[in-house]
Amino acid sequence: MNEQFRIAHKLGLMFLQDTPLPENVKAWAISQLHVKSPALGIKRWKSNAKGKEWPKSVQPDLLTRDNMFSLYKYNRKREEMGLDGYTSEAAKRDNERKNLMGELDQLKFAHRNVYGDDQVKLRFTAFWANHFTTGNIWDNQNHIGHAIDEAILANLNGNFSHMLYKMTTHSSMLAYLDNCWSCGENSQEAKWAREDGQQAGLNDNLGRELLELHTVSPTAKYTESDIKNAANVLAGWGIWPGRITGDEELLSTEQRHKKLREMGGTINSWDFFKKHHAEPGTKRVLGKVIPAGKGGLKQLTNFLASHEHTINFISFKLAQHFVSDNPSKSDINYIVNAWKKSNGNLDQIHTAVIERAISSTEPKFQWPMTWLFQVVRLSGATYFKGWDEMDKYNQGIMEAREIFEELGQSFWHERQPNGYSSDKKEWLSGEMFERRIRFADAIYSKGYPYSTPDEIMDRIGANETTRSLVNSFTRKKDQFIALMCSPELMGLKNA
Amino acid sequence: MPKLNLTRREFLKVSGASLFLAGLPLPGFTKDKPPGTISVIMLEGGMDGLTAVPPFGDPNLLKMRKGLTPDNYLKLNSFFGLHPSFQYFSGLMAKNNASIVHATNFPYTARSHFEGQNLMQGGGLSPFSETSGWLGRSLELAELPGRSLSLDMPLVLRGTDRNDNFYPASIRGSSSLKTKLIDMISMFHSKEGSSVFKKVSKKSTQKDSIVPRDPASLAKYAGKAMSQEGGPLSSVIKVTQFDTHSNQGADEFGKHGKLLKLVDEIIAGYREGLGDAWDNSIILTLTEFGRTVKENGTWGTEHGYGSAGLLAGGAITKSRVISKWPGLAENEQFEKRDLMSTIDYRSVCAACIEKSLGLDHDLIADKVFFTPELPRVYDYIFS
Repeated sequence: MNEQFRIAHKLGLMFLQDTPLPENVKAWAISQLHVKSPALGIKRWKSNAKGKEWPKSVQPDLLTRDNMFSLYKYNRKREEMGLDGYTSEAAKRDNERKNLMGELDQLKFAHRNVYGDDQVKLRFTAFWANHFTTGNIWDNQNHIGHAIDEAILANLNGNFSHMLYKMTTHSSMLAYLDNCWSCGENSQEAKWAREDGQQAGLNDNLGRELLELHTVSPTAKYTESDIKNAANVLAGWGIWPGRITGDEELLSTEQRHKKLREMGGTINSWDFFKKHHAEPGTKRVLGKVIPAGKGGLKQLTNFLASHEHTINFISFKLAQHFVSDNPSKSDINYIVNAWKKSNGNLDQIHTAVIERAISSTEPKFQWPMTWLFQVVRLSGATYFKGWDEMDKYNQGIMEAREIFEELGQSFWHERQPNGYSSDKKEWLSGEMFERRIRFADAIYSKGYPYSTPDEIMDRIGANETTRSLVNSFTRKKDQFIALMCSPELMGLKNA
Repeated sequence: MPKLNLTRREFLKVSGASLFLAGLPLPGFTKDKPPGTISVIMLEGGMDGLTAVPPFGDPNLLKMRKGLTPDNYLKLNSFFGLHPSFQYFSGLMAKNNASIVHATNFPYTARSHFEGQNLMQGGGLSPFSETSGWLGRSLELAELPGRSLSLDMPLVLRGTDRNDNFYPASIRGSSSLKTKLIDMISMFHSKEGSSVFKKVSKKSTQKDSIVPRDPASLAKYAGKAMSQEGGPLSSVIKVTQFDTHSNQGADEFGKHGKLLKLVDEIIAGYREGLGDAWDNSIILTLTEFGRTVKENGTWGTEHGYGSAGLLAGGAITKSRVISKWPGLAENEQFEKRDLMSTIDYRSVCAACIEKSLGLDHDLIADKVFFTPELPRVYDYIFS
């Protein structure tokens, strides 16, 4: 591939057919870190549609999302009670369609990646969304898309410590790793519970993964005491998903808000700290003393964000995701140095990743979802529905949710908190490769590509191996599949 | 092309399980057929052995975990009970076709899911030290080419070049695979990519079949495939979500109980699918760790150490609970919080490999688990 497409393959999602190619590709890639990021997409499915911004009405804010989910549960409860107007199939469908965000958010994610002008930013967004994996449990289908857009993408130009804090305190994370249920053993809440003969106390799930997966990793040799202390710092953060009392009857939105204000002084689920659930006293994590109270968490995440082991661990992950399948020590050190020199400034870290990915001539195997977006963008196919067509069945075009499921990769799955591997070995399976052939086929057959295989090869400057592979077929469809499954476009080595 | 038509809610329910089949002899392969088949059910997240197989004879059980222990457990003997979710499994116990190993685990105590899962599949001496799995290495040693059924290839089955996989896709708008096209793509890839495309090519010559994705149906399908002449010799099913830090529940309607019910259904599915091949089959569970003895503050449990292993299959002819019980009192626990592990679960895996693939224990201990002194527990399970 020419230099522009080689870099767009490693660091971006490929140039759309009408985009002029930059002359200085490194300058372009770095400038990408600061381009505007509106959610671009299409209203209705049609061939060669141009991206335009998603209307606000289909991008609700966090409070609206929370309210939608509590209304969803409220209606479900009435459905279970067999109340009139709640039990018909139409009413159930209506409840899901109006109040659940999973399907729409997955479509928006796909649209952004296919139509966005911010391809490099979107790749870094996917990396961090995977680093801070949250799974689709409890009320999280209304939260995951929000976390990706507002905690990750919106904070790409800040400091890592800020992103870490914003993800740790996002309801998507607090629910996924059970923190919203946790309270300190010596908290007021635990005392009240004991007086009532009830149980309430600590849950260390998020405390553990904050250390193991999000920051220092097991190489830091933290102890169970460090984990428990981290969990104690976190105790009190988060709203119980969907409902906030243990009563049989669910609360209406107004009642729920009243209760939330009593518990946390706010209805903002992204800044929700229940002081009666907090553990009193100072805590000690990896030697760092953390004071009691709401402010303690920020001190902990700041400390962890700049820890030597965090920097080494995440620099390796970045190098393995963007630079090479087998990053060298110097690849990793290059990122580590930029991290240390800038005290965790993400622009500087990402710039180092970009520079290293460009200077490394190693191919980089791409995730199934990245490859799919690249195929769609390269060919100018229309492979996702419009935001206005959620309820309309399309014979040829699958739902975004179904596409991600069939690919075996989705940020909306119920999944383990370590996320998807960037290690090529994890993806080398016949079934995974079969999906590539089938999706290339479906994108050609149902997505009506704008460009022919020849035009695509000319534009990207395909190498000789790719050309002879493609030219060994005469049918356009076979040529298209062969091109998209060539070593060059999959990020693998030629024979 | 099979059409699966799963609604969103159904998919969420079943997406946690996936199936892998391995060990398909190639036509014309001359080695004697191995003695049996081996199937693994991976329980991801950490199964609570004390809930699954409550040691009600231990006076500390109810003191420490009243909220997690079912009242209606099934009695196995004077000391151990069985969770009420295991209705089918208890029937197999009664027929002398199932056993339990209790207070056991891989020798790993650091309580990380990902290190633990890597060890339970890789069977190495430390986390992330192996790029192949203990079952894959065993199949390689037994010189059995393999075939697996899945979307990805789990670590436990890696380690033999002759593996391939199969799992029907449901992609609207794509037509059936064309062998010539795939062969050509394969030719242009280096060995790494080429060997994977070759597997797709081989698959393109076979007929698609409809396989529902719920775990019990997958198990039935796997059992049936293994029962056929020339069928796979090994399969793996993965069940996720055992990581019940909150609201774990006690009975068959609780979070953990529902998952145990799934395991019970998987074993029943295997039994049905295997048919007469049941007699030479062994099925075993794997989990990365057990859970804390004491209930935590949110009606759940944290990551622990010792757990229980479930074994089923016609290869077992006498049901037992195999355990060197460490006790649940605080000073008997591991680090004053977890059930101690007194049996190295690698020995249990080794015994199942020995029984099903006919490999010698010393060879398994040395070449599969890199631990020549690994104790042989074969007689406790199979005599």
